[in-house]
Amino acid sequence: EDAAEESNVSAELIAHRKRLVDEWNAWRLRCKEEVAEEARKRGKKVESVQEKAPQEEKEEIE
Amino acid sequence: MRPILLQGHERSLTQIKFNREGDLLFSCSKDSLINVWYTDNGERLGTYDGHNGAVWTIDVDSQSRFLISGSADNTMRLWSVATGKCLFFWEFPTAVKRVAFSEDDDQVVCITEQRMGHQGAVRIFNINRDGDGTQQSQEPVSMFNPIGSKAVVCAFAHRPDLILTGHESGKVALFDAKSGEEVMSNEHAHRDVVTDLQLSPDRTYFITSSKDKSARLHETRTLMVLKTYVTETPLNSAAIAPLKPYVLLGGGQDAMSVTTTSLRQGKFETRFWHKVLEEEVGRVKGHFGPVNTIAVSPKGDCYASGGEDGFVRVHHFDESYFRAKPYGDLEIED
Repeated sequence: EDAAEESNVSAELIAHRKRLVDEWNAWRLRCKEEVAEEARKRGKKVESVQEKAPQEEKEEIE
Repeated sequence: MRPILLQGHERSLTQIKFNREGDLLFSCSKDSLINVWYTDNGERLGTYDGHNGAVWTIDVDSQSRFLISGSADNTMRLWSVATGKCLFFWEFPTAVKRVAFSEDDDQVVCITEQRMGHQGAVRIFNINRDGDGTQQSQEPVSMFNPIGSKAVVCAFAHRPDLILTGHESGKVALFDAKSGEEVMSNEHAHRDVVTDLQLSPDRTYFITSSKDKSARLHETRTLMVLKTYVTETPLNSAAIAPLKPYVLLGGGQDAMSVTTTSLRQGKFETRFWHKVLEEEVGRVKGHFGPVNTIAVSPKGDCYASGGEDGFVRVHHFDESYFRAKPYGDLEIED
């Protein structure tokens, strides 16, 4: 009986831990998307650097 | 996990910091010295000599080019990491308690102490990275005095225009870097003084330690508390381990075990907690006095602790640390 109860508790605990980890992972993925979005806005992204590059080159030539 | 003992300070450690590559460890102390060590073998590479009082705080830029320090001698100093030369110093009416570089290395933020009729102040300086680093402006680009409880720790937040602060009352707050306006606060983040504040690599969350015997993980954008780690002792430092889901906490000793301290091995511990599950996973003993400061290498392969006993202990994680999955096969996002 004791053993059965114990395994019940641990099943609960395992479920609890899984829930915490799932919540954490979902939040981390949201964070990473937000960071990428912020970086895009600030023009950190490679594409936007390339877009700006021709203008900068011209300035240097002048 | 045999530690390397770094002996080069005569008084208690106040802060330690790894550079971005993790191959160098910087330490500062009440003995007015700053040292830099090879993480690999614990050999001392050099010292930064010039402060005339306890050095409370240091930070190193992401290129390992400049080191910034703050001291009880009321100065903040900029050093060349490679040569050990002091390149510039700023003088204030009171001691400098905390310094930090911005993510892009172009600015530093510092806190000066509230004392003798002077209000505590947060100042932000531009760092001129052109030339040899000796051409700096004496004037901050902005300065503000947080009203209410004084700020004791600070850093640039997830955005460079926001300053994150931890306060004597236990409050954490976000300030507009230009206007000095408090844009957000959590008055009850802790019930006692905030002793340390360290951000995650992407600055989206951070950990604080407090004399209230707990450490907490907060979301930077909202200051919402994500996790709480409750211990039995006042905490002086808390660090986030990269790659593995752990946080490291350090502080005093259990009141219970004070009388059992042996002479051969210090009983003051660094505690490892599971970051997500809020469960303690292990402790590492060693220091003969409270653990004042903890840092984890950005590569996640070692950590160091600085003690009230004047020692720095560097621990390289062994293979079992990387293999260990104390709570099963759950994959956890860093």
